[in-house]
Amino acid sequence: MEKEGYSWKVQLTFVVTGVLVGLLVTAQFRSAIPASSYPYDEYKIQQDLIKSYTDDQAVLKNKILNLRKQIDDKQKQSGASIQKNNLDALEQLKQEIGLASTNGSGANITLNDSPFAQRADNLGNDQFLVQAADLRDVVNLMFSAQAQAVAINDQRVIASTPISSVGNTILVNNTHVLPPFTISVIGDQGLLLQRLNDPTSLPDLEKRVKNQKIEFSFQPLANLVVPVFNGDFLLKYVQAANNTPS
Amino acid sequence: MKYKVKYRDLTIIITGILLGFLVVLQARSFGDVQDRIARDSQANVFQEIQILKTTNENLGDEITDLEGQLAKASDQEQALNAIQDEIKNDKIIAGEVDVQGPGVELTVKNSLTGIWFTDIVNEMWSAGAEAVSVNNIRLTNATVGFDTLPNGQISLNGVILTAPYHFDAIGDKKTLSEALTQTGGIVQRIKDSVQNADITLDQKDLIQIDKVL
Repeated sequence: MEKEGYSWKVQLTFVVTGVLVGLLVTAQFRSAIPASSYPYDEYKIQQDLIKSYTDDQAVLKNKILNLRKQIDDKQKQSGASIQKNNLDALEQLKQEIGLASTNGSGANITLNDSPFAQRADNLGNDQFLVQAADLRDVVNLMFSAQAQAVAINDQRVIASTPISSVGNTILVNNTHVLPPFTISVIGDQGLLLQRLNDPTSLPDLEKRVKNQKIEFSFQPLANLVVPVFNGDFLLKYVQAANNTPS
Repeated sequence: MKYKVKYRDLTIIITGILLGFLVVLQARSFGDVQDRIARDSQANVFQEIQILKTTNENLGDEITDLEGQLAKASDQEQALNAIQDEIKNDKIIAGEVDVQGPGVELTVKNSLTGIWFTDIVNEMWSAGAEAVSVNNIRLTNATVGFDTLPNGQISLNGVILTAPYHFDAIGDKKTLSEALTQTGGIVQRIKDSVQNADITLDQKDLIQIDKVL
């Protein structure tokens, strides 16, 4: 009698286990289909689209640079029809707003992900990765030290440059930039280095350099070139105020 | 009898291993997908695509504008007008004239540390702001850079900023407002991080920002 009860319990255990295993096997095979055909395909389409937009962006930015150069050349060739003071004023303004490349002494700052991190395989909040906020803080520090011109990986940084991240992707002027990040700064070397050497200037970054081994270094350079801004300056909403003399 | 007990134990162990193996396999299967997608989570990927799309549209508009400028520059009669228009535009960008337009005003009555200033302003530029000021100091290449003084005060262009802080941005007021107040956006982050945060965002038809002194 006891043996029959025992047998019944064992059989029930095996039935339940079998059903459970069957469910898992089914789930496994069922999950394999969408995993390969839906999320990955969608992911690939998204990545292809991003690549396509990024490629287009590079072409558009090159075209903008070429057009600005052609306009510049035409204006200089126009000679008498354009008064020299207009050209001088325009040159000065272009320097101020980043539409002219800038040469001079300054510093190169390098930021790189921790050797323990793999940017491609981690989430955006990974503490071992250089974050957009790190770049913003360094750029802000340099501008507060009266930097004349700043670029990140050859993307000219101007006042209106957004430095943001989407997932693990860092965008400067809405353009992808990849580590290592080189921040080129032209300005008074003494001022720039004083700020960079001050351990209280970038407290959050200092902590992560110490704890997470984010790589941060800088070196003074006698001759740097910061390239021209290659983005857009569309003014759709802002205009000179009514009180401004025309 | 002893043989049967061993057989049952063995069966249960094997079943358990099989079960565990399948559970792990299943979890990893989903995990692989999730890791792959979470790296650029759905929302982030779409956000990235949207940013790139808008950027390329703006770059295309800029090209159209520059092509017009090139045509004028090539025409002796229009060249002077074209260069004067360009000077006028560049003066607006450089902060050499007072400007106006629709936009938003973000007011924070609490004391803020330096990072919030760079982050708030960055979010405004990201959302397409065309001119930004903090406590009516226009941000340009010559003035940008928030300096944290040893006593914790924030200085901008040689002026110490004091609360309430007014961040004015000229641009598409709806886009700016939505970007700043979105879930996980700067307004929420300030509310989450600053105790008793007193923060308001107003859409305005007309914002005026003074030129850089």
